[in-house]
Amino acid sequence: MNYQNDIMCHVRESFSGLRMDVPVENLFAASRVRRRRRLSGLTAAAAAAAGTAVAMTLTLGGPAPARSGNPPPRGTGTVRLAAFSVTDGPGDSTTLTLHKGPRYPRLDASALREALARHRIPALVTVGTFCRSAPGANGFDQVVHPSTLADGSDVIVINGQAMPPGTRLSIGLFPRYTRMLLITDGARLTCGSTSRQPAVHITPTGTPIRGSQNGSRK
Amino acid sequence: MRHEQDEFADFYRASRDSCLKAVTAVTGDRQVAEELLAEAFTRAWMSWGKVRRHAAPRAWVVRTALNLGVSWWRRRRREVPLADHDAAAPAALGGGVDPALLAALRRLPARQREVLALRIFLDLDTETTAKVIGIAPGTVMAHLSRAMAALRRDLPPAKTNTSTTEVIR
Repeated sequence: MNYQNDIMCHVRESFSGLRMDVPVENLFAASRVRRRRRLSGLTAAAAAAAGTAVAMTLTLGGPAPARSGNPPPRGTGTVRLAAFSVTDGPGDSTTLTLHKGPRYPRLDASALREALARHRIPALVTVGTFCRSAPGANGFDQVVHPSTLADGSDVIVINGQAMPPGTRLSIGLFPRYTRMLLITDGARLTCGSTSRQPAVHITPTGTPIRGSQNGSRK
Repeated sequence: MRHEQDEFADFYRASRDSCLKAVTAVTGDRQVAEELLAEAFTRAWMSWGKVRRHAAPRAWVVRTALNLGVSWWRRRRREVPLADHDAAAPAALGGGVDPALLAALRRLPARQREVLALRIFLDLDTETTAKVIGIAPGTVMAHLSRAMAALRRDLPPAKTNTSTTEVIR
């Protein structure tokens, strides 16, 4: 049995450096948002359908927390902390705001892609990497109008109606900057974490921290 | 309300690292583990009145995170991987944990990993582990024993040759 103790000790020591750095205030904030949403009697999906501005703090579909004190059942949705919002306007455009801060590294790329899709903006959203197509697509300047707020948040006005047919928006999310480009559906994609690409560089560069991809090529 | 907030904050600060280690050991990905735990802790706070009375609140959080992970992986499998995509390096997934150990853990069946994580990082005894997972205590012992045997096979002897007086309960 001594080898079991050795193994347990080794496993424990190997993981000793792991620290969770999410502040408890983030959890309180996430629960406040959810309670407000619940009180409003709206599911986020209904809100989006009604054209309401949706603060995308949640990946939708999660049930109420377990009431018995037992863990909730398998198959419940995952909720992420707030990192972006997608709203209607100005005019027929859609405004995507990427809120920079401690929550940003946990941005749910799938939720962002789905939120944009609800606004009829097809997108490929990637985290820590950026994709372009060969051939590329023209018309980017007519589609995307980016700006940066004083707090570092990116505000991107997207004119979905100006997107050429058969194109989608490639959005690469990095810790301190965002890259965007129009890409052609069905074309070969090349993805990378370097900046050697013809894309709009919204804020100064930073170092990618992860390379997960949460978009889909359709 | 303020008292409850303080109480939960204390619980969170005291539990978050051990929970992160446990969930990382099961998922093999520190980033995913942190995301799942952020959600699980949020749910724990929203049900704090019940969770605080749970026999093992930390185990509730870990179990919730792991259940959430099931749907995360299901969703992930539906996504289309891209050619030339920069996959995260295996060493980066574990947040500094020995890659050989992570790989060995990944080769274990999920239930064995879960038992191992609850026993090692949450320091649960066999009875509580069995209750949390919903299996018999004997099954917990069997899973633990098999997991240990597999790790012993997979890990270099030097890595497991440490002196300790710890006793498995």
